[in-house]
This record gives sequence, C-alpha cells and structure tokens, in this order.
Amino acid sequence: MHKDYQLVKDGALCQDEWHYSDDETALSDAPTIISLTRLKAEAEVLRARNAKLGVRLLADGNGKTKLGEDVAELAPYLDMLSLVSIDFPTYRNGRGFSAARILREQFNFDGELRASGDVLHDQWAMMRRCGITAFELAPTVSLEVFTKAMDELSEAYQPASDDQRGALWKRHA
Amino acid sequence: MYRYDEFDHQLVGERVTQFRGQVERRVSGELSEDAFKPLRLMNGVYLQLHAYMLRVAIPYGTLSSKQLRMQAHIARKYDRGYGHFTTRQNIQFNWPALDKIPDLLEELATVEMHAIQTSGNCIRNVTADQYAGAIDNEVEDPRIISEIIRQWSTFHPEFTYLPRKFKIAVTGHDNDRAAIKLHDIGIVIKQNELGDIGYEIHVGGGQGRTPFIAKKMADFVPKAQLLAYLEAVMRVYNRLGRRDNSYKARIKIMVHETGEEEMRRLIEAEFAKIDASQMLSVPQAEADRISAYFANPAFAALPATSAAMETAQKQDADFARWVRANIVPHKQDGYAIVNISLKPIGGVPGDATDVQMEAVADLAERYSFDEIRVTHEQNLVLPHVRLDDLKTVYDELQAHELATANLGLISDTIACPGLDYCNLANARSIPLAQEISERFADLDRQYDIGELKIKISGCINACGHHHVGHIGILGVDKKGTEFYQISLGGSADENASIGTITGRAFTEETIVDAIETVVTTYKDMRQDGERFIDTYRRVGLDPFKERLYA
Repeated sequence: MHKDYQLVKDGALCQDEWHYSDDETALSDAPTIISLTRLKAEAEVLRARNAKLGVRLLADGNGKTKLGEDVAELAPYLDMLSLVSIDFPTYRNGRGFSAARILREQFNFDGELRASGDVLHDQWAMMRRCGITAFELAPTVSLEVFTKAMDELSEAYQPASDDQRGALWKRHA
Repeated sequence: MYRYDEFDHQLVGERVTQFRGQVERRVSGELSEDAFKPLRLMNGVYLQLHAYMLRVAIPYGTLSSKQLRMQAHIARKYDRGYGHFTTRQNIQFNWPALDKIPDLLEELATVEMHAIQTSGNCIRNVTADQYAGAIDNEVEDPRIISEIIRQWSTFHPEFTYLPRKFKIAVTGHDNDRAAIKLHDIGIVIKQNELGDIGYEIHVGGGQGRTPFIAKKMADFVPKAQLLAYLEAVMRVYNRLGRRDNSYKARIKIMVHETGEEEMRRLIEAEFAKIDASQMLSVPQAEADRISAYFANPAFAALPATSAAMETAQKQDADFARWVRANIVPHKQDGYAIVNISLKPIGGVPGDATDVQMEAVADLAERYSFDEIRVTHEQNLVLPHVRLDDLKTVYDELQAHELATANLGLISDTIACPGLDYCNLANARSIPLAQEISERFADLDRQYDIGELKIKISGCINACGHHHVGHIGILGVDKKGTEFYQISLGGSADENASIGTITGRAFTEETIVDAIETVVTTYKDMRQDGERFIDTYRRVGLDPFKERLYA
C-alpha cells in the first residue's frame, strides 16, 4: 500500500517496516498495525501469531464514541504489542499526549510509540517528551526542519517521559 | 519578587526566537492563518474585531516598577498609548502589528516577562490574591506556590493541547479575593492541627455559558504532593474530558456529568500512581529558594497610627473619602494597602495610559518597595505604603486621575471589552459601564449604597463575570439590536454564588434605569448594616422582579 507519510524514527528518516491493515484482511507475517477493535476481537488468535503486531489508538473514536479509545484498554494486550500508533486527529486534540505518558510511565511499554494523524510542527518536541519515538510526517517536511524544531527549547520546566528533569529539580541536582 | 535565573531567561528567550520563526512563516505565507492560529494563541496573540490583540502574562498579578514601565513603553511604541488590565490580572494591547510582535516580546523578555500561555487550550497564567504578603492573617503567601505552578505548567508537554483552556487560582486567606471557586482548579492554602501547610483543592468552577461553583475535591493535599495532585487532575481531564463540543469541553462540565464522587475517585486513583513515582515533589532547597523571593520587604518599625495621615484626613475631605474607600489595613503596623481604581467616572474599566502606568511605577518605586499588583477586578494595588506617605501618594495619583475613591462601590464595575473590540460579543459593555458610572457619579450616593459589584459581559462567554456580579448584566443580541439581561445575587468570594436572571431583557435606553430601580429597591428594603448582597439573600428575587417589571 502506498504510504502518504514519511517516517522519522529516533531522529532519522527511515523505511517503515510496518503497514496498517483493515479489520477484514487476513494478516501476513509482516509487521502489521491493526485497530483496537480487531485486537480485542481476535486477541486469542493474534497471541498465537508469530509476527510483530502493532495497534492504532484512535483519539476521537471516529464518531463511534464521544471520547475515542482509552489507553487503559490496551493494558491486557501489552505483551503482544511491539508498537502503538497514537492518533492525533487534529492539532487541537492532545489526548494522545496523556496516552503516550501512561504507556511509558505506568505500563512500562518499551516498544515503538509513534504519532500518526495531524502531526503538527510545533508539537513534535512535546510528543518526544511524552515518550513518542516515531513520527509519521507529511511528505513535504524536511528532516532539517524536523531536527531544528526538536531543539528550539533546550530546557524543560517539568519532568515527563524523557530524561529532562525540569528546572525545579535541576537547579538543585 | 521572583527573579528569573538562567533557566527562565534561556527558555523565555528561546520561545521568542521560536515565535519569530513562526511569525516569519506566517508573513511569508508558508503558514496559513489556520495553521498559525494555535501557535499565536500559545503566545497570547488573538485576532480580534479590528486587529491582532496581544495579552501579556502578569504571573499572579505581581509587577515591579521596571516591568510596569515596560508596559508603558509598549503601549507607546506598539499600541495607541494605553493598555487594558484584565480580569485575569494580565494586560492586553489592542493594536500591535503582527510583524512587530516578536520585537515586542523580545523587549518584554528583558524585564522577565512574556505572553506564554495567556491563550490557547493550555494551563493559563496562574492568578492569586492581590493582597498576597500584605494582608493580615494569611496562612502563607500564595505567590510561592503560584510561582511553582507557573514553572511546572510552562510548556507542559502533556497539557498544552487540552480539551479547553484551564485556569488555576490560589488564595492563602479566608477572604477569597481571587474567585477561586470560579476556576477550573481553585486552591486554598491551609494549615492543619500539626502546623503543616497544605492545600484545599476545588475543581470544576467556571463561568461562560454554563456557570458552576467548583466542588471541593480534597481537604488537604500536603505541600510536597501538590504538583502530583495537579498533574492527576490534568491527566484525568485530558484523557477523559469531552472534545466533541467546545461548549461542553471545560472541566466543569466533566465534573458535572461524571459526578463529584466518581471524579474524586478518578483523580485519587491517578494521584496514587503519579505520587508513587515521587517525580513531582519539589526539592526543599528549591521550595526555599522560591519562598525567599517572597519574604517580607524591609518594613520599618512604625507606630500603628500616623499623625500626618490623620491631620490630612481632617483637612482634605476628598483624601478622607479615598482613605475610607480605597485603603485596606496592612499586616504591618504603620503600613497600608493602597488600591488604585482604574474605574474613573465615565472611563473605560481597566484601561491605563502610558503616562499613568509610569506614574504608578514611580510611586511603587518610591513608596511601595517597588511592587505593584493587578487585581481580577481590573484595578491596581500598591501593596506596602507607609501611612505617613499616604497623602503624598494620593496627591500624585490625583494628579494623574488615578484617585477615584470607589473601590467595591457601584462604579467599580468589571466589564469585558465587548463589541467595541471583541469578535464574539453581542453587545457593547464599555459604554454601558460608562453610563452606569455617570448615573451614579456622586460619591456620597455611592457610599450610601455601599458595597455593590456590577459586572458586565457583552456575550454569554461571560468574560465580564456577570454570573457572579451582585448585579450582573449580560448583553444579548435580538435581531440585530442590543439588549441587556439582568441577574442578581451572584458573588465571587468565599461564599460564591451564581446570580439569578430577573426576567425579560432591557433595551439600551432602559437598562440604566433598571439598574437604578434595583438599587432603589435594595435601599428601601435594607436593614441596618446590610450590604446589597445581604439584603438580596434575605429577601430573594421577587421584590426586585416586582419593581423591575411593574
């Protein structure tokens, strides 16, 4: 399938080994990202599948629910997952920032966390601070612009999922 | 006062550079207005009816003389010679050119100021009691924890794209002057039986089209755990708050729909997880460093009364009236808290010219340990003035038309910018505030009426706090004509209440008469020593309604 994004992972442009699958197509052995609905419905079968599995967490439920999918629903399946793709449907919807931190800090998820959807220039650095390591960027964005945006603020005031401790703590380190 | 260290300087400086880049991308056309919008909002830039508006943060309403002089300079250089102090203790400039805003922000940064998070769906500039550190019987100066909250919430990576804006207010006093129960989170500093300091937390207050008084979520959060508790509230809100309808997206709606008990359970469950990590307890050395900035200034040992002041009161009736209305007792003998009314009769509530700002800055430098406060009722305060200096300060204020003796009286109105500036408004607010103050211009009449807070909003977004006015006025639009609805019995203090609408709205021509009818009804019915709000609470809405619609 043609991808309408380019993937930046750990700060570098790279070939995306993952692809998204719909809920009907039979899964191959390639690394595949499925919906939470499918994950829940086919968990037992998927647990026996011997290939990398990822899930996409939808922030606004695409009209199905008022709130969208909650990160807590992933808890029973974390051992099966190598990737969580967090949906940012518009720049205004920052629900995924909390999902990322909960995955990293409370669920101790150490797989790939990627931001998908409307990934806005000025949110990249904040996403990284929340534990997101991979970004699906619009094809028009250059790596140079991305790298520069990541370094615009050199310090942080508060701790998050990265290793910056925050000024309130660092002053007395 | 808090002073920036290298961290603060560096971050604010980098933010200006970042915003300069964003403005350049906008001006060159690389960014559409739609894509630029969230970026400018995070930096306090609004697109208003006629022009861009810039809102500058005044953390917890405290300013130094140097900082206030900078506002005067900005008013002169980038605006039309005045600034507007807001109900969130900030200052707004109504006419800056977009391409000059980065320069403006760069100048602001030289006096340790910025416009960060004064708009957008993020944690806004934290507000606090304007008498902090000056009023007697304060548990602790609220600016200490406010500064810690300012830092924790600045560029917070998780909470910058919330369902809606988020406002936090703090008071360290039993008399609430910060309207904490009308904020998303209201914090009251408390001391327990063991002598420890902690925080009573109220969540889910707010005005707008659906007003709510905040619910008390925690009686006593220990000092070291406050940021963990706040982060828990924010995370529950960001994760589970509604985003499907912006009118239902504030945390007050979530508290209302989820229920107080369930909300408390959610917050406490999240709090337990965050607190266990110990990540957010501020080191004692850092808490001490910040506290030290808010230590008492070097007060002199003075007698509790001043002969010079008493003589002046006898000789100058205007001065005596000003003392009676605008001066509040200080915790330190021989000092007073001076309120500077920005509500001259017929003036624009909250506006100050460059020259006035400089005059106040000079007075603060000479007579008030270099400090100025901004109040949520859109006035200024000199927090620490010697009684012996009051007459001199008064004369100087008088010379700059800043000595209106009407604090807390009927002409001390809160008004939003209204249809004169705002693209959301249905009706004009400022001209109505002016008309009311002219109708009741006579100060003796105002003193006779006593404490009466009129608050005017030009639309249901309630920026003029009409829900919590003793008399609230709401501008509505009916088929292109401006009408004004009256509500009575609101209050923003420790006994916070939402006003009740009297009934049918009044026209532009009849609204001021209607206000006068309300005032006359109160005067006819009041018993000894009753303020308007006391009488209203005793007799209820009906007697007022009868007279208004007779």
